[in-house]
Amino acid sequence: MTPVHPTPEWARPGKSLLLPAFWVVLMLIAGGAVRLGLFVRESLAAYPTATLLALVLFALYAVPFCVFVAALDYLEREPPLLLATAFAWGGLVATSISIRGNAAVHNLVAKLASPGLAAEWGSALAGPTVEEIAKTLGIIAIVLVARAQVNSVLDGVVYGSLVGLGFQVVEDVVYAVNAVAVAGGGDQVAPVVATFLLRGFLAGLWSHTLFGALAGAGIGYLAVRTDRPLFVRLFVAVLSVLGAMAIHFLWNSPLLSLGGGAGIFGDLFVKGIPPLLMILLLVRGVRHREADYYVGQLAALGDRRIATEDELRVLGHGHLRAGARRYAHGRAGVKGRRAVRRLQRAQARLAVELSRAHGVGLPGLRVSGAAEPGTAPLDPALPPAVDPFDPPETGLIDPTTAAVADSLAAPGATEPVDAVGLAQAGTVEPGGAAQAGVVVGVARIPDRLSCAPVLGGPTAVRWRDRVLVERGRMLALGHPEATAPLTRNGSVRRVVGGIAVFLVAMITVGLALIALGAS
Amino acid sequence: MRVARGTLLRNLAGSIGVLCTVAGLAFGLPALDNALPAQRPAGDGPYQVGGRVVVTPPPGARLDVTLTRPGDTRGTVVFVAPGAVRYVIVVTPFKGSLAAAAERLKSKIKRGHEITGTERPVRTAGGLEGLEGSYAAPGRAGRYLVFRAGDVAIEVTVAGSAPALRAALAAIEASTRTLAYRGGTA
Repeated sequence: MTPVHPTPEWARPGKSLLLPAFWVVLMLIAGGAVRLGLFVRESLAAYPTATLLALVLFALYAVPFCVFVAALDYLEREPPLLLATAFAWGGLVATSISIRGNAAVHNLVAKLASPGLAAEWGSALAGPTVEEIAKTLGIIAIVLVARAQVNSVLDGVVYGSLVGLGFQVVEDVVYAVNAVAVAGGGDQVAPVVATFLLRGFLAGLWSHTLFGALAGAGIGYLAVRTDRPLFVRLFVAVLSVLGAMAIHFLWNSPLLSLGGGAGIFGDLFVKGIPPLLMILLLVRGVRHREADYYVGQLAALGDRRIATEDELRVLGHGHLRAGARRYAHGRAGVKGRRAVRRLQRAQARLAVELSRAHGVGLPGLRVSGAAEPGTAPLDPALPPAVDPFDPPETGLIDPTTAAVADSLAAPGATEPVDAVGLAQAGTVEPGGAAQAGVVVGVARIPDRLSCAPVLGGPTAVRWRDRVLVERGRMLALGHPEATAPLTRNGSVRRVVGGIAVFLVAMITVGLALIALGAS
Repeated sequence: MRVARGTLLRNLAGSIGVLCTVAGLAFGLPALDNALPAQRPAGDGPYQVGGRVVVTPPPGARLDVTLTRPGDTRGTVVFVAPGAVRYVIVVTPFKGSLAAAAERLKSKIKRGHEITGTERPVRTAGGLEGLEGSYAAPGRAGRYLVFRAGDVAIEVTVAGSAPALRAALAAIEASTRTLAYRGGTA
């Protein structure tokens, strides 16, 4: 059983409209939007400059997180509307729930125990319980609305982190405006900047985005790993949500706090960085599992024009993909960089489409020469029967076909080349289509399969041709392979550089906070 | 485009589960909170407000535990004196002068209230120097006091209907005279 459940070809976004969960989510998001809208309106009326600054700063703050999540989600991209829904749940629904729930838990602790306990432990008790449950509901709602789109544990991480990010951004805006009100100095920007530095940087990297990612991994596992017994999946899901709660509890609690003016830096190293590293390692693991699966789809084709061994290695890692683009830029300028980016994108899409065809248990693309068209699907694990760089005459396009395909593409070549169009244009072996289906690129699609509505085949064919088109472009640029030479100790340098940048940033933020007089 | 009946039912059950949990958090917890009393007797002995400030509550006053939050460097206590007079003491870290602390408190009061009369100096039994004034809003009257001690500012506000405030004022003034800072130099 694979760790990935590809979205079936028959899955249609419009189907979600027929599900009760869609309308429940829509109603709750609309309610949260009204509530937040009223808050923003009142804040703008009382503190226009400070509120506007808070909105702008924290909107910008979300950008690097979104870029990071997009890089995680590179191979099998989630629908933007669903990502926006996850963000909206966190920012509009979970925050609205938490404002009421948190206050109630604080009061209950004060009533049932003492105000002192509520002051010291109220946030540690209310935050993890109310907020983590409210956010986890968002991930569950996404699964209910679009089950077919949650294909792997990584998808759970992506949706969970976006729910957390939405929560974090809106909560920070509320905190910033409240800080302005508490300061009592009118429409000042200093409390907003102090909140931005404190909550955005010193406390922000191991905050809700991280907690949400951990909870999302558990929900993703519950939804995807249907090969495991239900109680195991439930156990893993509950464990991840409890893990998110525990990290949140530790951060909010006075436990392990050093206190004093430098206490926040102590908290940062004792309570912030260890969970951050732990969750990043977990995310790295699930990302690699997903990447291995999709890269395996391309590897199974065994065609170096689709992806060379080095490109397969590069495709699964964000930093290697970026390195390949930089290297192309150095060798072939902007055009080279762009060609590599498009090739990588096309390779990723092709891998996803291949997985969809396999995922429904029906044949999609076939490697020509390895199996006769119309016969049983080729086992993707089998190596090709022919050398893709030295193909036989029948059914295969010459390696330079990519350039031909490029010339045949529509102006600007922004759309994938149409498979049938290529066949009709005479770039295939005469008679091949008539005898054995439509031959495109290195693929041979039997007639009946190319018409089958449930197959990923035709879409995969389009992306395969796009790969060949981009390969042709790269060949023309004299940079045929989307890789970069391995640098010595590159990983060590990256880690050391990252730590250095992190420390410098934290010290700068700390000094800025001291300058602002934040207590 | 159809959805299988089983899928639809499972989705409905899941949606109801999500909705019920949302309702439980957003309405159930506050309902449980409202069902429990927020006030309890404040007692007779000195009360730790927070930020190393203590006060003896007025006789018969009750403590609103939902608004009271003691802490090491800051704190808030809300007493409710007979006649529903709210007696609030807020301690916050502050490095400015007494006049600056008074200005800060007045700027907060001015949001919804009007400062009335003139400000005059006051002194607690423990020797804390402060300023006292009064304010009003339609149907309500109030007094404020502000003190500086160590690295904190102590803000006191007393508010209620005019007759209730008059009745409770003597006991509350006796209480404010017991304000003390136990953090060293006052």
